[in-house]
Amino acid sequence: MGKKRTVGFSRFSEVQTAWLFMAPGLVLLALFTFWPIIFSVPLAFTNYSVIGETSFVGLDNFKRALSDVDFIASIKNSLLYMIIVPFIQIISILMAILVNRNIAGIKFFRAAYYIPVVTSMVAVAIIWGWLMSSNGVLNYLLMSIGLLDEKINWLSDKDTALWALMFITLWKGLGYYMMIYLAGLQSVPNDCIEAAKIDGASNFQLITRITIPLLKPYVFLCTLISLMAAIRVFDEVFVLTSGGPGNTTLTSSVYIYQQGFEQFEFGYSSALGLIVSFIIMFFSIFIFLFNRKGGVNPY
Amino acid sequence: MKNTNKAKKIISKFFVYVLLIIFAIFMMGPFLWLISVSLMPGKNIFAFPPAILPTFIDFRNYLEVWEYMDFLKYIWNTVIITFLGVTFSILFSALTAYPLAIFKFKGRNLVFLLLVSTMIIPAAAGLVVNYLTINSMGLINTFTGVVLPTLVSVFNVFLFRQAFMGIPTDIRDSGKMDGASEFRIWAQLMMPMIKPAVAVVGLFEFMANWNSFLWPIIVLNTEKYPLASALSFLNGQFSYNFGWIAAGTVISVLPIIFVFLFTQKYYMEGISGAVKG
Repeated sequence: MGKKRTVGFSRFSEVQTAWLFMAPGLVLLALFTFWPIIFSVPLAFTNYSVIGETSFVGLDNFKRALSDVDFIASIKNSLLYMIIVPFIQIISILMAILVNRNIAGIKFFRAAYYIPVVTSMVAVAIIWGWLMSSNGVLNYLLMSIGLLDEKINWLSDKDTALWALMFITLWKGLGYYMMIYLAGLQSVPNDCIEAAKIDGASNFQLITRITIPLLKPYVFLCTLISLMAAIRVFDEVFVLTSGGPGNTTLTSSVYIYQQGFEQFEFGYSSALGLIVSFIIMFFSIFIFLFNRKGGVNPY
Repeated sequence: MKNTNKAKKIISKFFVYVLLIIFAIFMMGPFLWLISVSLMPGKNIFAFPPAILPTFIDFRNYLEVWEYMDFLKYIWNTVIITFLGVTFSILFSALTAYPLAIFKFKGRNLVFLLLVSTMIIPAAAGLVVNYLTINSMGLINTFTGVVLPTLVSVFNVFLFRQAFMGIPTDIRDSGKMDGASEFRIWAQLMMPMIKPAVAVVGLFEFMANWNSFLWPIIVLNTEKYPLASALSFLNGQFSYNFGWIAAGTVISVLPIIFVFLFTQKYYMEGISGAVKG
């Protein structure tokens, strides 16, 4: 009986099957990815909060945002955070080149470098919070090798706090990008390298003339991922400084969270979210256009 | 001539290992120090000069924090959340990815466009609206409410799609010849072929769910917290008791490190498959 069916068509046509397969995923995406974006638009024009009646307030939230010193500071800090992007690329490429060889124990080292990536930001924040306190190990080490004259309370000094957080973000992410670059390096055809070696290329030339150009699409991908991560940074700031001292480490994600879930000003928080979304969108479109020119595919 | 070459090789190998070890200390050092703190109850970590290596070993911190914090409960919460998150994430993402890789159907490009646009649109403001959604679904203080919003990520869908596209078409055809339904082909023929991709998505989702702390704090009451949320709570409540916090942190970190070490061999394969595009 069943065997008589036309090959490829059971009870449903191919189109129906396709939509059936995608249904659960698309419903979830619609509900938790698209709906928040759509619904936060009308919300941004109201004074919706836990207390009082909700009413339409027009552009009040946006006017308030533009004169909100903390919000402006948080945007500045989020943009400043992007400084780590080039450092991430350089260090993780060097690490990838370092672990891209078949020597004894290399698997151990690769795993070791990846461990900060798999651990929770809460755990990492706790550890580095201790290491960076004024009587912490970091000060001790820096002072004993003579790089530092007096103790710095890295995370509560307003001059160093943001940089200290950036360092933690960088440290935790290196292994992740290293693995992507390593995948890239291993896709470099071996004949290419052998041929260059026969032609007498030095190690340095091998890296600058062959490895780096072939890594280009990976550099693009990693830049995109790390840029988005930097501009949205939340966890480490939330756990370690919650924006302080003052507003020196306040990032836009943290401020949006604070307005929403600590002040319960859902309307204002949504308006801030929209503004930040536009800023991020600007960067993404810029990168995607740049990408199209380069002709590489980030996914 | 030959000897100098050999000597050169040994020296360069030596330098490589020195560099590898320096980086290893940089990346692993903080964790090793954490373990050493957790094993020295009563030791003040803020003494100057600080104790870096353990001078004695005592598991008292582990016993105390285990008893006081009811750690088993938090571990259980985390296990349920992670299990739900990983299983359904793999299931729904792979289901969504399959038609995008195999079929040509009307609306395929539209779905694609929607998926790509989520990569451009940031979810900065999503937290508030998602809270309201979960609330109106009556899912506050449930584990379902914790995992639901992040079950399907576009990244996972693309990774699976890439993997499905790498499977030769004869395999699906042979399934069809045997009269298997599309779902059976997917479940019994295709899914076993993309194990590396499943391992990568599994690891990423394991990480994301095991380590998530903010959304659970928003959605759940304290007694339902997973480990990471409980840890940030512990850190706020007992910030003076370093030993306990260190022990708690070690307990929360070990399982995920083990999972990583077990999935590691698939990991490179999966990553390179995902990136090539």
